[in-house]
Amino acid sequence: MLNALQPRLAGWRAQLPLIWHLARQELVDRHKGSVIGKAWTLIGPLINILVFVLVFSRIMGARLEGFGAEIDQYTYSIYLICGILAWTAFAKSLSSITNLYAERAHLITKVKVSLKALPASVLLAESIIYAISMAFFAAFLWLIGFPFSAWWLGVPLVFALQLAFTYALGLLLAILAVYLKDIKEAVAVLLPVLFWTTPIVYVSDILPEWVMGYMRFNPIYQLVDAYRDLIMYHQWPGGLGLIGVALATLALLLTALWLLKRTERDLRDCL
Amino acid sequence: MITVNDLHKSFKLFAKPADRLLEALTGRARHATHVALDGVSFQVGEGEVLGVLGRNGAGKSTLLKLMTGVLLPDAGQIHIDGRVTGLLELGTGFNPELSGAQNITANALMLGMTHEEIDARRQAIIDFSELGDYIHEPLRTYSSGMVMRLGFAVAIHADPACLLVDEALSVGDGYFQQKCMKRIREFKEQGGAILFVSHDLNAVKVLCDRALVLEDGRVVHEGDPEGAANLYNRIMARQAEEEEGRHQARQHGAYGTYQVEITGASALGRRSGSTTLSSGETLEVSLDLHARQALEDVALGIMIRDRFGQDVFGINTHQRQGPFRLTAGERRRIHLAIEAAIAPGKYTITLALHSGDHHLDDCYWWHDSALQFEVAGYLGPKFSGLCRLPCEIDLNASDQGLPEKEST
Repeated sequence: MLNALQPRLAGWRAQLPLIWHLARQELVDRHKGSVIGKAWTLIGPLINILVFVLVFSRIMGARLEGFGAEIDQYTYSIYLICGILAWTAFAKSLSSITNLYAERAHLITKVKVSLKALPASVLLAESIIYAISMAFFAAFLWLIGFPFSAWWLGVPLVFALQLAFTYALGLLLAILAVYLKDIKEAVAVLLPVLFWTTPIVYVSDILPEWVMGYMRFNPIYQLVDAYRDLIMYHQWPGGLGLIGVALATLALLLTALWLLKRTERDLRDCL
Repeated sequence: MITVNDLHKSFKLFAKPADRLLEALTGRARHATHVALDGVSFQVGEGEVLGVLGRNGAGKSTLLKLMTGVLLPDAGQIHIDGRVTGLLELGTGFNPELSGAQNITANALMLGMTHEEIDARRQAIIDFSELGDYIHEPLRTYSSGMVMRLGFAVAIHADPACLLVDEALSVGDGYFQQKCMKRIREFKEQGGAILFVSHDLNAVKVLCDRALVLEDGRVVHEGDPEGAANLYNRIMARQAEEEEGRHQARQHGAYGTYQVEITGASALGRRSGSTTLSSGETLEVSLDLHARQALEDVALGIMIRDRFGQDVFGINTHQRQGPFRLTAGERRRIHLAIEAAIAPGKYTITLALHSGDHHLDDCYWWHDSALQFEVAGYLGPKFSGLCRLPCEIDLNASDQGLPEKEST
């Protein structure tokens, strides 16, 4: 078992510098030639956090119940940021992975690059953005005196699960998108639908009972809810939901790998 | 060391892309097939250069793509010891906003080099590309030649065990091309295996140890480059003939009074017997004339032009034998033997029939580029430039003529 895994792992390691380079290209090189260059990578996430904090606490004054008066005015912002950062990472990764093979066709048709490894560069880039955003978020929480706890350590674990889910779903869609151009459009249209049907900007309490019954099957809801449990409520998220996501990930991954194995030769001809 | 064994590759042609997915899933055929490679096998040993010739669509590019692993074969094996680098992906991953130095990293990573290797060779790459201080400028300020130089410099320093070279080399100026060729030869001497795909018969003859000819996805010849080049020429000639048949209708690009016309013409090398000959070989031009009416003053002229349309050599019978006469209905064959000591390349022959020394008074028949031939390789001593001029060289001339100075 381990022996069979060895060459595969070596294959992945050989692709690592390339993946890292492509991620870097997304993050840093894209801003090359602009005056402040690399700083743009930081400015985007910072402005986002500031907007969520200022607009929803100071200007609109939205609040949720349950915390001390000091923090109270920020609770909606915290609630929102927990969900929306994770959502942004998911949505941006998924849509770029879906178009990945067409977008990188000039590369895939010229040099040998693993189709399985390529999506990892997108995930890496988005993870770094997420980490930067979370750092700003944590700094903000510290500033307003929000209590931290060891539950924060669970965030990377949940995020790893989110990455795995995004990878599996993305790989499947990317393969299909080579054959069906419609996939790209469909993803672009369906992502906002998923965004608004998931309690990210609103609180799940406002949804009718029967809708919440189905919400269990929404992996994004499970993930977002888990982040909130860890960060806001300092508790381990209800286990079953995340296990469901993990199982779904596994099923998607196996399907995607089977499909890739079956069609890779054709797929490369097609690009 | 490259070993290719019974390689098959066909492309499926689909009406719409979705059919492709359906077929891949269900296994039911929904396509037309184009066979690109059909049982190709060969070996390239260490320090060996194998040339691959073949007309467009014969399967050369598909072969290269299979070798780099960009495409996957239907059947057969490719075994390559060590890293393989193609010169077909010159400059892959270049970003115009980044500097030349940063692009070296980008491109080298694409070619599978590690960061340590890149750092170790960075200076060599910069030196080879001869970009000097430009290396720190953004790539968008480069000329296309400079980009090409940088791409080649990276590719050749990727330290591959096998190199795949294709037409990419034919761009760039002559100086850099020579430098590349020299570098390729060094690579060969160090024991690298090279697959050299080209239409340039001279380069194949000069560089390759063996050559194979691909036709319709099959290897139709494998052996010495000379034989391969000849077979390739025959294939091309056949294609030209087929095309000629198609063009026959509008072919009479000739004009004039048609009082006498050329009904048949050929230009062949005396040794090769084909329209491709070596420089220095005799070019035999045979022309069949048919006079529609009696003419007192006829001269036949030919003009050989190179691929730029430059006149290389022209002569007419008036200059040599004076005018000749033709009776009404007469058919006559005229034969010219020209020592074609001209530079390798493609040439055309323009034919003319006129009165006097030039065609300005009575032009009976004029046909631009009626014949074509190609000069490839040298027969006898080599030379540089457009043509070989008679030349005698005496290496010991000083010994005899000059008085000895200051004898002690």
